[in-house]
Amino acid sequence: MIYVNAFILCGIICAIGQIILENTKLTPGHLNAILVIVGALLSCFGIYEILLSWGGAGASVPITNFGHLLFKGAYEGFLEDGMTGLLNGILKTSSGGLSVTIIMGFIVAVFTKPQH
Amino acid sequence: MKLEEYNKIVKKHSAKEDKFKNVLIAFLTGGSLGVIGQLFTTFLEKCFYMPLHECYMYTMIMFVVVSSILTGLGFFDKIVSFAKCGFIVPTTGFAHAMTSSAMDHESEGPIKGIGSNIFKLTGSIILYGLVAAFFLALIKGVIM
Repeated sequence: MIYVNAFILCGIICAIGQIILENTKLTPGHLNAILVIVGALLSCFGIYEILLSWGGAGASVPITNFGHLLFKGAYEGFLEDGMTGLLNGILKTSSGGLSVTIIMGFIVAVFTKPQH
Repeated sequence: MKLEEYNKIVKKHSAKEDKFKNVLIAFLTGGSLGVIGQLFTTFLEKCFYMPLHECYMYTMIMFVVVSSILTGLGFFDKIVSFAKCGFIVPTTGFAHAMTSSAMDHESEGPIKGIGSNIFKLTGSIILYGLVAAFFLALIKGVIM
């Protein structure tokens, strides 16, 4: 059943993105920045945890999850250790995905030529 | 010819894209990516007994690696032109933006090319994500 939920949730988030792109003049860059902020907001109000437990990977695959991870790390750090914890923790939970993205971007750019 | 008339003629002859069809395609492709992610997550959870948040991290890493390699081989743009937001909104779009901006400026050298341009598109995502998360966490932490 969680597969159906993941399909519906991830599909709806992508469809919302497509609707925004179709009806406004925003670029995909704008869209992704907006979605990250929306993810952080949803996480702030505790909605993202519910989405994660209902839709599983359907909530963890879209870019909104990046905002959720950033907020989660920052907030948990703040509860643990105040301001120091916030500053140290803000990238803690998302650093896995972020570092791999940067490293893969570098490796691929070095070893391939753009095809134009 | 007046500008309004000209705009009318341009609008009449420019190709119309079916909005509803695009949204449907984005829904289906995005949903399929979600199912693939869920399959991979369940696989990791059942076979390696990882905690759930680590499974999600490795699923994200799997998508990032695959889409970076697809970008390097030049397939990703063809997929996006078909799947639209179905591939832009998931983590694949984030990895694609990072890799493609690094690749486009590779010829300018490792510092001025790759180094200063790798965050050209994804910089805004990281910046606004960080700023939003910082202030939201601070406000929520102080109020609660």
